[in-house]
Amino acid sequence: MIHITINGKVVQAKDGEMLLTVIRREKIDVPTLCHHEAVEPSGACRLCMVEITKPEWDGWCDYVTSCLYPAADGLIVNTHAKKVNELRSSILDMYLARHPKSPEIRQLAAEYGVLKTQFEEVVDGDNCILCGICTRICDTMGFHAISMVGRGHGKEVAPPLNMAPTACVGCLSCAKNCPTNYIEYNMENGGLTIWKKDFEMVACTECGKTTITKEFAEYLSKNRDINIDYFRKCDECHRKELAGTMGRISNWDREARS
Amino acid sequence: MNIKNVKDLNKIKKETLAISKKHPKKVLVCCGTGCIANGATKIVESVRDGLAKRKLKDVSIEILKETGCHGFCELGPLVIIEPQEIFYTKVKPKHVDDILDKSFLENEIIEPLLFTNPVDGSKITKYNDISFFKHQQRIALRNLGKISAHDMKEYIGVDGYQALAKVLFKMTPDEVIEEVIKSGLRGRGGGGFSAGKKWKICKNIQADKHYVICNGDEGDPGAFMDRSIMEGDPHGVLEGMMIAAYAIGAKEGYIYVRDEYPLAVTHLEKAILDCERSGLLGENILGTDFSFTIKIARGAGAFVCGESSALMKSVAGEVGEPRAKYVRSVVKGLYDEPTVLNNVETLVNIPTIIRKGADWYSSIGTKKSTGTKVFSLVGKVRNTGLIEVPMGITLREIIYDIGGGILEDRPFKAVQTGGPSGGCIPESMLDLPVDFDSLTEVGSMMGSGGMIVMDDKTCIVDVAKYFLEFLVEESCGKCTPCREGLYQLHKLLEKICAGKGEMSDIEKMERLSENVMIGSLCGLGKSGPNPLMSTLKHFKDEYIEHIKDKKCRAGVCPELITYEILDNCTGCMACIPACGYDAITGKKKEVHIIAQDKCTKCGACYAVCNFDSILVS
Amino acid sequence: MNNRFIVKPELCTGCRSCELACSFTHAIDGVRALTRITPIDGGFKDLWVPVTCLQCDDAACIKSCLVNALKRNPVTGAVELNHEVCVNCMACVAACPFGCAVLDTQANLIVKCDLCGGDPACAHFCPTKALVWEPIEKSVKKTG
Ligand SMILES: Cc1cc2nc3c(=O)[nH]c(=O)nc-3n(C[C@H](O)[C@H](O)[C@H](O)COP(=O)(O)O)c2cc1C
Ligand code: SF4
Ligand code: SF4
Ligand code: SF4
Ligand code: SF4
Ligand code: FES
Ligand code: FES
Repeated sequence: MIHITINGKVVQAKDGEMLLTVIRREKIDVPTLCHHEAVEPSGACRLCMVEITKPEWDGWCDYVTSCLYPAADGLIVNTHAKKVNELRSSILDMYLARHPKSPEIRQLAAEYGVLKTQFEEVVDGDNCILCGICTRICDTMGFHAISMVGRGHGKEVAPPLNMAPTACVGCLSCAKNCPTNYIEYNMENGGLTIWKKDFEMVACTECGKTTITKEFAEYLSKNRDINIDYFRKCDECHRKELAGTMGRISNWDREARS
Repeated sequence: MNIKNVKDLNKIKKETLAISKKHPKKVLVCCGTGCIANGATKIVESVRDGLAKRKLKDVSIEILKETGCHGFCELGPLVIIEPQEIFYTKVKPKHVDDILDKSFLENEIIEPLLFTNPVDGSKITKYNDISFFKHQQRIALRNLGKISAHDMKEYIGVDGYQALAKVLFKMTPDEVIEEVIKSGLRGRGGGGFSAGKKWKICKNIQADKHYVICNGDEGDPGAFMDRSIMEGDPHGVLEGMMIAAYAIGAKEGYIYVRDEYPLAVTHLEKAILDCERSGLLGENILGTDFSFTIKIARGAGAFVCGESSALMKSVAGEVGEPRAKYVRSVVKGLYDEPTVLNNVETLVNIPTIIRKGADWYSSIGTKKSTGTKVFSLVGKVRNTGLIEVPMGITLREIIYDIGGGILEDRPFKAVQTGGPSGGCIPESMLDLPVDFDSLTEVGSMMGSGGMIVMDDKTCIVDVAKYFLEFLVEESCGKCTPCREGLYQLHKLLEKICAGKGEMSDIEKMERLSENVMIGSLCGLGKSGPNPLMSTLKHFKDEYIEHIKDKKCRAGVCPELITYEILDNCTGCMACIPACGYDAITGKKKEVHIIAQDKCTKCGACYAVCNFDSILVS
Repeated sequence: MNNRFIVKPELCTGCRSCELACSFTHAIDGVRALTRITPIDGGFKDLWVPVTCLQCDDAACIKSCLVNALKRNPVTGAVELNHEVCVNCMACVAACPFGCAVLDTQANLIVKCDLCGGDPACAHFCPTKALVWEPIEKSVKKTG
C-alpha cells in the first residue's frame, strides 16, 4: 500500500493501480468518455486528465490522463485544478462543435458550463465520438469484428471493407456500451440486424422468448465448453424448471416424513 | 567475401585502397533518388558504354562509381571527375562522350556544364570551391557522393566497420556508452535526447531481449536527409546499429523505412545481405560472442508512424497509432521489451565518433549541442539542398553563405525550422546560433532538420494554415484535442485568410492552442499548434492586418488582394489570353483593365507580364 | 469459505419476504433493484421453492463471460458480477441452466445473487428459516 494525496486528502492506494480507479473509489467525479473497465485504457478522450506533482518537483506539475497513470507513493493529485477545468471545457467544446446533435455530449458539456460551442459546428457531424469503446470491447471479447479505419478528422468505426462482418456474432456489446448510442441495431420477429448483418435469435423452446443470437450461443458452446442444451430455454423457464425439480424432491421428503 | 575476423576486414580494406590507387581517375555519377529522377540511370549506361567503346572495359568497374546523393539534387544529374574534382551539373547522355574524351582522358574542362554561381554568374570548376559545399562539414554525410552506395568493399575502404572492430575488441559495452555520452551526441530525430544516456537506461534494464530500431520514417514534407543517408551510405547506418546493439546487448534490430523510399530499401537490403553473407551480421560477428541480425520493416505511410510508440506498434504488425505512454519505450518498447529507437542520422554518426573519439566530436559544434546537423535547405534561397553544418552556425551563414542568399535579392522574411510542427523565425533573429536549445527558446525547434526560407512574398498566416492543414490530415485521430483542436485551429486560420477574421479569434486560437498542447496524447498534437503559436509570437502584426485591415501584405490570400493594371502597361496583350476567366480587356498599345468581378486572383496575368505593370495589393 | 447457503423448500410459505429483502439490499441510489431470489410454485400443494443462484462449482456463467466480469469470491464462495466490467452481452443470462443471471430492465444491468457479500439478507428475513446461512461444520454434522 502507498499513499497519495487527492485534492488535499491523503488516501491509500495500491502501487501501480491507475489514478482513475483511486479517484473513483474516493467518489470524486472526473468525467470520462473513453473509459470502460472491461477493456484496456486508451487515453483517447483526454477528459480524465488531472494535475499531478510531487514535493521534489519544485513546484513543477504535469498533466496526465488519470485512466492511464499509475499511482505512485507521494503523488499529489488535483482533479479540478484551474488548468484541468479549462482543458475539460475546451475539450467538451470541441466535442460539441463536432457532435452538436448528440444529447449525451450536450448534457456533459452543459455540466461543464459549455452551452454553446465557440467553434465552427461541423455540418453533417455524426454522433460517434471515436472513443473506441466498441472496437476495444469487440477485440477483448475475441471477435475483432469492427475497427477504427482512416485517420484524423475522417476516422470512423467500421467493419472490414464496410461489409457485414463475418466475425460478428451479434452480441450487441458494442452498441450497448457506446456512450452516445451511435450504433444502430434492429431486433424484431426473432431476428437481429447489426452492422448490416442479419442474425437469427435463439427462441426459448417453452415460451419463445429470445435472449441471444444463435451464432453467439454456438460460439459460446464451442469455445467456452458450455453444453448447447443450456441455451434452449430462457431464464424464466429455466427457473420454473428448477422449481419443478426441487419441488418434486421436497415433496418426496414431505411424503416420506408424514 | 568472408569476413571472419579483423584480419579479413583489414585485408579487404587494403585491397580496395590498392585498386583505388591504381586507378586514380574516376567518374562519379550521382545515383540518388533526385538525380535518378533527372535521368542519372541513362548517364550511368552511357558512361559504361563509353568506357567500353574506349577499350577501358576491364577496369570500368573501378572507374565508374554510382554514388549517393550530394544534396544538390536540383542540379542533377551530377557527374564528378576525380582526382581533379571537376563538378558537372545537369548532365545529359549526349554530354557523356565529351566528358570522357575531354575531362576523363584529358584534363580539359567543359565550361557549359560547370556550376554557375547564382550570385555573380561566374563558373566554378571544383566541387569544394562551390560555396554550397565549402561551408559544410560532413560527418553524417561523410560517404555520400564519395563511394558507391551498394559496394560493401568501398565502405570498408573508407574505414568502414573499423569502429565495429574497435568496440568488439577494445571496448566493453559500458565504455562504448560512456564514449557516446561523452561525445554529447543528441538524437537527430527531433527530441534531442542524449543518445548515450538513452542507451545506458536501456542497457540497465533487465529483460529477456533488447531491441535496436533505426527510425527511417522521415515523414516531414520536403525533408530527405534520412533517405539520402540510407540510400547513399547504408553500411554506415548498419554499423551504427551494430555498435548500439553491442552497447545495449541487443540481438535483433529493425530499420523502419518509409514506404515511399524504395531505393533506400533496395540499398539497405543489399547491404544487409552482404553483411550476412560475409559474416558481419549473424552469429559470432568477427569471431566474437556478439551476434546480431537486422530486419527491414516497411513504414505504413503515415506521418505519425515516425512517433516512437506508433512506430513500434507498426513494426509489431499492429495499427500505427500512438500509445499513451507513461512508461517510456526505452523501458517497454517493441514487444514490451526495452528498446533503443534512434534516428538514421543519429546512428550514422556513431562509427565516426567511435573511431575518432568523443573528444574530437564534442570539439565540433557548441557545448550543449555537439557535432554537426544535416538540414534540408529549401524555399526562396538560391542554392537549395541537403547540407551538413556544425551546430552553432548562424541562420545567416546558412541562408546567405551556403544558400547564396534570397532568390532575386528579395527581402528575407522568415525561416521555418523543425518540420511541420516547427516554428517561424523572423529576420531580427538571423544571427541566432542554430542548436537545439536556441531554436526551442525562440518558439521553433530543431526537429529533424527541415529549413524553409521565405521572402516577402510569403504570407505568414498562409504558412501557418498550410502546416496546420498538413497536421490535420496527418493526425491519427485517436485523441480529441489533436483531432478536433487542430481541425478548429485550421478552420480559424481559413477564416482569417478569407478576410472574415475577428480580433477575438486571436485569443481563441491562443487558448485552444494551449489546450491542444497540454491535452494531446503524442508529440504530433503536443507540438501541432507550434506553427501557429510561433508566427503569432513573431508576426502578430500580419495577423492583425488580415483581420482589421483585410489586407495580405504578401499578396497571397486571394480574398484580401486585388490585381490592378498600372499606367505603365504597354498594351502588349500578353495577359489577355493568360487570364482563364476573361477578366482582362484592352486594345493593343492601350492600358488594359481587369474586371474585378471576374478576376479570381489566380495570378496568371502577373506571371506573364514583362513590364511589372500588374499591381497586387 | 466458512458458511453455506441452504434452501429448504418444505419450510417456504411463499411469503416473499426474501424478495423484498434482496430488492432493498441491492438498491441503487435508493431505487429498489430486481430481486435475485424468487419463490416459485413447486408444482405441489403448498410447496414453494425459493429459486436463486446455486453458485455452481463449474459455473456456466463464469465460462460464458468473455470479459471476465464474473468471478468467484474466495471468501463467500459466491459468483460475483462486476457491473463496471460487464458489457451486457447477455451470455450469462442465456448460459445459466437455472436462469439465475437476469436482466434488470429498469437499471439496465445484469444481476445475480452475490450472497450479499457474505451476509445474505434473505436468510435474515425468512420468517420460517427456509433460507439459512450457517457454518459449514454445523450443516455437515447435521446432514452427515
Ligand atoms: C509525430 C511525430 C513524428 C515523428 N517522426 C519522426 C521521423 O520521421 N523520424 C525520426 O527519426 N523521428 C521522428 N519522430 C521522433 C521519434 O519519436 C523519436 O523521438 C526519435 O526517432 C528518436 O531518435 P533520436 O533520439 O535518435 O532522435 C517523430 C515524433 C513525432 C511525435
Ligand atoms: S455485436 Fe458484433 S461487432 Fe458488436 S461487439 Fe458483438 S461481435 Fe463485436
Ligand atoms: S460507435 Fe460509440 S463506442 Fe464506438 S467509437 Fe463511436 S462513440 Fe465510441
Ligand atoms: S496527438 Fe494526434 S497523432 Fe497523437 S495520438 Fe492524438 S490524435 Fe493521434
Ligand atoms: S452479461 Fe455481463 S456478466 Fe454476463 S457474460 Fe456478458 S459481460 Fe459477462
Ligand atoms: S478516460 Fe478517456 S482519456 Fe482517460
Ligand atoms: S540525388 Fe544527386 S545530388 Fe541528390
